[in-house]
Amino acid sequence: MDLTPTRTQQAALVVLRALIGWHFLYEGFVKILWPAWSRDGAPIARFSSAGYLRSATGPLADLFHGLAEVSWLPWLDHLMAWSLLLVGLGLILGLFTQLACAGALALLALFYLSWLPTRGVYEPGAEGNYLLVSKNLIEAAAVAVVLVFRTGRIAGLDLLRGRERAQPVAPVAEATR
Amino acid sequence: MNLTPEQQELGRRNFLRVVAGTPAFAALGVAAAVKGPVRGGPVRLGFIGLGGQGRVLLEQADPRYAEVVALCDINPLQLQKGDESLVKTARQPVKHYADWREMIQKERLEGVVIASPLFTHTDVAVACMEAGLHVLCEKMMGIDDASCRRMGDAAKRTGRVLEIGHQRFYNPVYQAAYAGIVKAGLLGEVYHARLVWHRNGNWRRTAELPSPDYSPAQWGYPTYDHLINWRLYKQYSRGHMAELASHMVAITDWFFGTQAVAAVGSGGVFRFKDGREVPDHTYVTLEYPGGRDAVFTSIESNAFDNYYEAYYGTKGTLILQGEIEAYLFEEGAPAGAAKATGVAVAPKAGPAGSASESRAADAAGAGKGVGAASGGGDRLAAYRMEVSGFCSAVRTGAELKCRPERALGSAKACIAGFDAIEKKARVEIKA
Repeated sequence: MDLTPTRTQQAALVVLRALIGWHFLYEGFVKILWPAWSRDGAPIARFSSAGYLRSATGPLADLFHGLAEVSWLPWLDHLMAWSLLLVGLGLILGLFTQLACAGALALLALFYLSWLPTRGVYEPGAEGNYLLVSKNLIEAAAVAVVLVFRTGRIAGLDLLRGRERAQPVAPVAEATR
Repeated sequence: MNLTPEQQELGRRNFLRVVAGTPAFAALGVAAAVKGPVRGGPVRLGFIGLGGQGRVLLEQADPRYAEVVALCDINPLQLQKGDESLVKTARQPVKHYADWREMIQKERLEGVVIASPLFTHTDVAVACMEAGLHVLCEKMMGIDDASCRRMGDAAKRTGRVLEIGHQRFYNPVYQAAYAGIVKAGLLGEVYHARLVWHRNGNWRRTAELPSPDYSPAQWGYPTYDHLINWRLYKQYSRGHMAELASHMVAITDWFFGTQAVAAVGSGGVFRFKDGREVPDHTYVTLEYPGGRDAVFTSIESNAFDNYYEAYYGTKGTLILQGEIEAYLFEEGAPAGAAKATGVAVAPKAGPAGSASESRAADAAGAGKGVGAASGGGDRLAAYRMEVSGFCSAVRTGAELKCRPERALGSAKACIAGFDAIEKKARVEIKA
């Protein structure tokens, strides 16, 4: 039985990767853009993860609450914003895709653990009711799919990098046989 | 190069696979450019004219929206007070200029707030716009019809933002009254509006010279009295019509959905015969299309009514009092059966009340009604929102609440009203 993904399946995986990449890239872009204004004319406050960290829930809440108070939080904010941007760029363009997937998984794991939905009821700031499974976890699962299928070999700028190019792109000679 | 069709097809496919993510990346770029945030910090502003009105705007300039870069006034005392206003609102004093041309040349500004005497508005505003600056100019727009049109034309020609400071358009009380009452048709057909600004005090003020050798002549004022009391002289001012009525007429135009077509007026200098040239008692009727009218009165001999706009419709009466309270009375309902509008705001004393030039006489003479306590927190909010709204328009193209066209209608009517008193004749207002 041939388990090689069909072209449609491959396309679906690449689209999934691009959507996740879009999400990360835009999150990073907005955080890095500051100072900035919303389109309806209000200044946007400088990004700080302090509020998010202070409202962390779950078994690791104390750790995240502590992080909110560290003096180097602005550096952490910068790191977070640039990580989101670079991961997003990698995923959307298919460049260093596996590394970008790993980065995305790490970030999503952080977001999931900092807001672990253990209460099973609506919590302020959440978009719905979650119990153990949240949107962060689902997005992480989607990233895992993109990771294991090595989508950089299907499409993207990784194909231009020697190692990745060898396998997926059929050599010209093959077509002339 | 000889490529077989198969080779061409394969090459094409390889290329598309490599650039597969690019369309999504480009789409995100376009979406972010069209709908995403706009980069930029607070709008860098210079303030021209630091009298009472200028300082109200200065104090209400929200640092998140506006960065005050420099102050300009020909009177050093006003500059000093401007610095005090900055310090009072937890900001540092900034550089001073006496000449606005020098300020706009030397400072890296994005916009200016003009609160200089009326007769200077046009020259300053047009030059600033031509220098690439956005302009928030205090009311009234200009001293005559041609001046106002020059400002509007300059805004169109230069593509700069020009907003005229009728802060009532930003006042939540007026917005709620328009949306919830006027637009909703609760007043029925409105044929008559009464616009009242009554005070019992002398508009003339006294002030010490900034220094013994200070000469206002270099700025075109023959005496220091002309500088500090410019509102009282025709060459600089249009009296009550410009300083008081223009606000109320702008709102009336908004509520009526049209602009005045003629003015009939009377009045004169009846109480304070001190050499002033503009009336201390003003009575003007503005005619609107469809048989509607607005009657504006301003007296300086009794403050019982203080100031309000009242709109009398076939179904109800709306009264907007002191910029902070609104009342709705149903026509035919028992006397005293006022409907709660949900927009009443308790008056409380605030710094703008004492600082505002338009209200100096109120403070001096108002003894009854809302007059004595008309410096309300909500009025300040309107000024704050006005400056913020201007900055939003500069930075993001957000819609202005008092565009030049809107201010022009009010200015033309008020100029016609002033002329009607002068000529003792009915003055038609050109479209």
